[in-house]
Amino acid sequence: MQISKKVVVLGHFGVGKTSLIRRFVEDSFSDNYKVSIGVHITKKTIEFSIDESVTLILWDLEGTDDISQIRESYLLGSHGIIFVFDVSRPTTFQNLGKDLISLKEKTNEVPVKIVGNKSDLVDAKELDQVLSEKNISYDYITSAKTGHKVNHLFEELAKMLAINA
Amino acid sequence: MGNKALMNENEKIQILKDILFAEDSVYIEKIAHRLENLESTLNDRQKFSHKVDPIILEQLEEFKTSIPTTLGPTITAALKTEIKKNKDEVVEALFPILGKMIKKYIAHEIKLLSEKINKQLSFKNRIKSWFNSSSTKKEIIDELAASNIEQVLLIEKDSGILKASYSVTETIDEDMISGMLTAIKSFVEDAFGRKDQNLELIDYELYHIHLQSFNRFYIAVVLSGNYTTQAKDKVQDLIFDFFENLTKKEDYHTLNTERINQQLAQNFGHADL
Repeated sequence: MQISKKVVVLGHFGVGKTSLIRRFVEDSFSDNYKVSIGVHITKKTIEFSIDESVTLILWDLEGTDDISQIRESYLLGSHGIIFVFDVSRPTTFQNLGKDLISLKEKTNEVPVKIVGNKSDLVDAKELDQVLSEKNISYDYITSAKTGHKVNHLFEELAKMLAINA
Repeated sequence: MGNKALMNENEKIQILKDILFAEDSVYIEKIAHRLENLESTLNDRQKFSHKVDPIILEQLEEFKTSIPTTLGPTITAALKTEIKKNKDEVVEALFPILGKMIKKYIAHEIKLLSEKINKQLSFKNRIKSWFNSSSTKKEIIDELAASNIEQVLLIEKDSGILKASYSVTETIDEDMISGMLTAIKSFVEDAFGRKDQNLELIDYELYHIHLQSFNRFYIAVVLSGNYTTQAKDKVQDLIFDFFENLTKKEDYHTLNTERINQQLAQNFGHADL
C-alpha cells in the first residue's frame, strides 16, 4: 500500500526547520518562493517493505515569532505536525506551552512532534538541565548539522502515520 | 289429498304474499337490477374507472394542496436532517449539476449578446472583413494557437495531496506541484479574505492552469497555447463530466487511484479544444 501524508514543519525564525528537511530530503529544489507565499514543499518516500510505503509531503512554513499568526489554511488537512525549536535560543521555546495550545486550537487532533534542533551547539547535560528547569517536554533532540536523530524523527513519524491511516 | 291441500295452502300463501308485499317485490327487483349494474360496473374496467377516476382526482388535488400543511413540515424536517448529516455528499453531488446549469445560462446570455452585436454590425463591414481575410493564414494561426491539455491533477483540497493525474509531458514531481498549487491557492484566497471565492486561473507565458474547486477536491488542468473562452468552456465541460462520473462511482470515497488515472486519460486525453 502506498499512501501520502501531509506533514507541516513549523516553529520560530531560524530554528533550523529547512535545514532539518534538507538533511532528510537530499534532492530538495529551490525554496526562493518561501519568501513570497510563506511555504516550501518537498517530499520523501519512506519504504517499509516492497509493497508498503509512506510519502511524506513536507510543508516547511516560514518561521514566525508568533505561532498564533500562522496561516491557518496551510495547516488544513495535515496529518502530522513537527514543531521545531532551537535548543541554543531559549526565546524559541520559553512559550512552548502557549504555542502548542494555539496550534492545537487550529489543528485539533493532528499529532504534534516537538523537536529541539541544533543539539550540536550545546552541551547535552546543560541542555537537559535547562529544559527540565523550564518544564519543557520534547519528543526528539536533533542536529540538522550532524544529522543526529533526523532520519529517526521522520521515519518514526511516517510509521505512526501509516498505522493511523 | 293432503298434498293438494298443502299446495293450495302454499299457493294461497304466495298469493297473499304477492298482495301484501307487492311493493316490496318491485323494490327487491330494483335492488337486484342495481346489484347487477353495480357488478357489471365493478367488473368492467372502463366503467369502473369512469366512476372512480373523478373521485380519486379530486382526492389527489386535495392531497396536493394539503401537503404543505400536513406532510410538508415532516418532509422538510427529514430532508434537513439528511442534508445536515450528509452535507458533503449533497454538495459534491450538486456541484457539477449546478455548475453546468450556471454555465448553460451564461453561455445562453452571451449568445444573445453576441447575436445582438452581430445584428448591429453593418453588412458592408462584414463583406469587407470577409474579403480581407486569408483563410489559409487563419487556419495556420489557429492551429499554432490552439489550446492543448498538458496535465490534469485531481488534488485533495485541504491537504494538497495528489489523488490522481494524467500527463502528456514530463514535469517536475506532481506531488510537489499539487502541494505548491494548493499553497498558492490558499495564499491567494486568504489574501483577499474570502473563503467562498476560489482561485480559478493561473497564467504563465504560454501556459495556463485552470482550477476548478469542488467540495473535497479540486482539479487543475495545465494547458499550453492560446486559452480562448471557447477552450475554457470545453475544459469546464470536461471537468464537470469527469467529476460527475467520479461521484457516481461506488469507490468514490476510497478513490482507486489507478482507475481514476485511467478515467482522467479517457476524459482529457483525446479532448479537442
